[in-house]
Amino acid sequence: MSPIVATTSLALLQNALLVGAILFSLGLVGILTRRNLIVMFLSAELMLQGISVSLVAWSRHHGDWGGQVLVIFVLTVAACEAAVALVFVLQSFARTGRLDAAAWQSLRESNLPRTVDHALPASDAVPPSWPRLAPAGVLPETDADRAQEREHV
Amino acid sequence: MPPLAPSTLLVLVPLLPLVGAILTLLLGKLLGSRAHLPAIAGIAAAAAVAVLLLLGTAAQVGSPHDPHAEPLRPVEMISTLWQWATVNDAYTPAVGSAAAIPGTALGGQGDSRAFSIPVALRLDPLTATMLAIITCVGLLVAIYSVGYMHDDPGYPRFFALVSMFVFSMSMLVAASNFLIVYVFWEAVGACSYLLIGFWFRKPEAARAAKKAFLVNRVGDFGLAIATFLLWMTYGTLDFHDTLSPDGTILPGILGQTRLADAAGIVGGTVGTAICLLLLLAACGKSAQLPLHVWLPDAMEGPTPASALIHAATMVTAGIYLIARSAPLFVACPGALTAVSIVGATTALVAALTATVQNDLKRVLAYSTISQLGYMFASLGTGTLLGFTAAIFHLVTHAFFKALLFLGAGSVMHSMGGVIDMRRFGGLRRIMPITAATFLVGSLALAGVAPFAGFFSKDEILATLHSKGWPNAHAEHHDAAPASAHAAVAAAIDTTGRQPIRPASFQADAADGAGRLNSLDTPATWQTLFWMALVTAGLTAFYTFRAVFMTFTGPTRVPEEAGHHAHESPPVMTLPLVILAVPSAIAGWWLFSTNWLAHFLSATPSLTAPAIAKTAAPHAFHMDLAIQGSLAAAIGIVIAAIGHLGRRSDAPQMERFLGPLETLFANRFYFDQIYSWLIVRPLEALAIVSALIDKHLIDGLVNTVAHIPVGLGGIVRRLQSGLVQRYALAGVMGVLMIVLALAWQLRG
Repeated sequence: MSPIVATTSLALLQNALLVGAILFSLGLVGILTRRNLIVMFLSAELMLQGISVSLVAWSRHHGDWGGQVLVIFVLTVAACEAAVALVFVLQSFARTGRLDAAAWQSLRESNLPRTVDHALPASDAVPPSWPRLAPAGVLPETDADRAQEREHV
Repeated sequence: MPPLAPSTLLVLVPLLPLVGAILTLLLGKLLGSRAHLPAIAGIAAAAAVAVLLLLGTAAQVGSPHDPHAEPLRPVEMISTLWQWATVNDAYTPAVGSAAAIPGTALGGQGDSRAFSIPVALRLDPLTATMLAIITCVGLLVAIYSVGYMHDDPGYPRFFALVSMFVFSMSMLVAASNFLIVYVFWEAVGACSYLLIGFWFRKPEAARAAKKAFLVNRVGDFGLAIATFLLWMTYGTLDFHDTLSPDGTILPGILGQTRLADAAGIVGGTVGTAICLLLLLAACGKSAQLPLHVWLPDAMEGPTPASALIHAATMVTAGIYLIARSAPLFVACPGALTAVSIVGATTALVAALTATVQNDLKRVLAYSTISQLGYMFASLGTGTLLGFTAAIFHLVTHAFFKALLFLGAGSVMHSMGGVIDMRRFGGLRRIMPITAATFLVGSLALAGVAPFAGFFSKDEILATLHSKGWPNAHAEHHDAAPASAHAAVAAAIDTTGRQPIRPASFQADAADGAGRLNSLDTPATWQTLFWMALVTAGLTAFYTFRAVFMTFTGPTRVPEEAGHHAHESPPVMTLPLVILAVPSAIAGWWLFSTNWLAHFLSATPSLTAPAIAKTAAPHAFHMDLAIQGSLAAAIGIVIAAIGHLGRRSDAPQMERFLGPLETLFANRFYFDQIYSWLIVRPLEALAIVSALIDKHLIDGLVNTVAHIPVGLGGIVRRLQSGLVQRYALAGVMGVLMIVLALAWQLRG
């Protein structure tokens, strides 16, 4: 039965690594494609967990606790990172009123135009309904580039 | 060093004016109208020290009339201040090189010499004479400038420059090394530039300053090349001998060790080249024929500066250089003849030009060129009499030309800046002191006995005459062998020394140096003598033409002078009177006592056997004196016929000259020829160069500069500022690394 045990151990490692890889790739794709800051943060967490799964699998395979200790570290660091990242997300939302990562482009080459969405997905084209107020005060400044950006991501 | 040692005093002569210049520059604003004080104090102290040194050196040389005098010995004192530059093993003399210590062989491996430039000052009769002239004339000119320059906005600057000039010039004549001489040669050029361009807002003054500087560069180039050649030939640039640490004597170029050796000086092609380059340098600084064009224009500067620099002192630097290098020249008879030819031609051409000038200062400028030409002609004879006569004329000329220039400045000051002689006349009634002193200066310049110029000019004519008619002088000289010079000459002759004629000289007789040497014939010297004699007559003519036009005739003043045309203040007339005294009597005194000639012949350079054996007894040549006086008298009489008592704007003498008048008035078209031959082509070249620089060179550089900009433009588009694109780029990079690693590790 020993070969079965061995096979099972290897299969377990394989499956675990597969799950870890899938989690990591999902996270990677998410962080590269989604522009919502919270979703990007979640994707980053997903990548961390993918790595953690791999570490645990290898740890069990080798019978060595090191990998699992490392995972505890990862969790700890991830918790701290979550606190910092969420503060950043909140602050950036307070600045721009949006969660769009593309709202932050100030570090581009000075002579390059701002990157804007030229074709919005159909579902996003629904005009928002603003409350109608009596005209008063100073007309707020409008940014032509901003006007082309998506309301939500 | 004890405080009154000659070496200390020697350092003080240049140092005091330098301190004066620096103080004037630093405190000029503070002192305001008293800004002349530090400069004049510095120059006055230097003058006192220079006179002390002159007397001290004279005491060492001894009196010419002392019957118990030992044979004349070279008098020389070297004071080395510090080593300026030292390069070890810079030069390995070849076998048989003139750099050898006379009498020893050279050429071993261990014989390499160091290139060392000591800042060394020397004191010998020639330097002492020059120092006394420079500081004394400088002092009188500085005192005069107090009156002339008052109320000028650049008052402190002027005195700082004059003081700086006295410093540079005294360093030039006191330096004992060709490189140091070169440095101060440039320094006096720079001072001259700054003083000509003193009123730099005036375009003519700025142009004249630029012209003087550029023309002088040509001569300076000659001195630089000559210095290189001297280094290559002699392996040293020092004038004096130095004691090397191992106890051997390193002979300087003009040191006594080398001078005592018959083959110590290089002749032939190299020697002639050195001498001709030194002559070119002297031509630049002393305004001789090909390079004289800057001096008349230099009259744009303040008149005291003209008197000091462009008449009395700086222009004598060329004379000094040739007199100092006399042994080098005597080894190359061709170069010596060239010196005389240049000098006599310059004297004649400048005198002809001066006869038709209407600008009083320009007449004096051309007369300066002409008199310097006289000195060159005298130097070129290569005899002891020639060298001493040139320095004699230099001394008397310094006095009377400074006097004439300061007198012209006094006239200009009183006439509201007008210097055109046709616009004033009869000024002797308005400014009697200026007129009287100017007359004294003119008599000296014209060579009327017994004024100073007569004796020095007579000696120059005599030395030219003795070269042209050697037989007429020979028995005359042999008849009087009792003089100290003759004794030295005899002593040297009996030791069996050969005249300086290196063996290589015979070999290259066919080349350029040889052809130049073939000019050294009595016929040449006879021509030069007649040229000098004609020049003497012309000198008297143009000098008195200027005197008669300015000071006689009906009294007229230009309207610029206003109603206050008057004699200049005492601070200006006092230097005139002081200068008038030596202009009148210095010639007679120096000639009758033979003091200067005796004194100068103790200069190491002039004690070289080849020069000392030409020593002639002190004699007054009655026939030459009569010829010279006759020439002067004819000149004065013609000037009197044309100008005495007439209105200076009346028709002039030159209407009799016909087309020659146009030639003289246009100064032999030198400026035009230089303009067409040199200035215009250079300007055209400059325009072409500017176009090439602007379009070709700059175009290439800009093209190169555009390449990185263009390449960057492609990559720059990646800098979008979007976080996710950067992340994507990072991921792609990692993927590429992983793929590359996988490829490497594929087995």
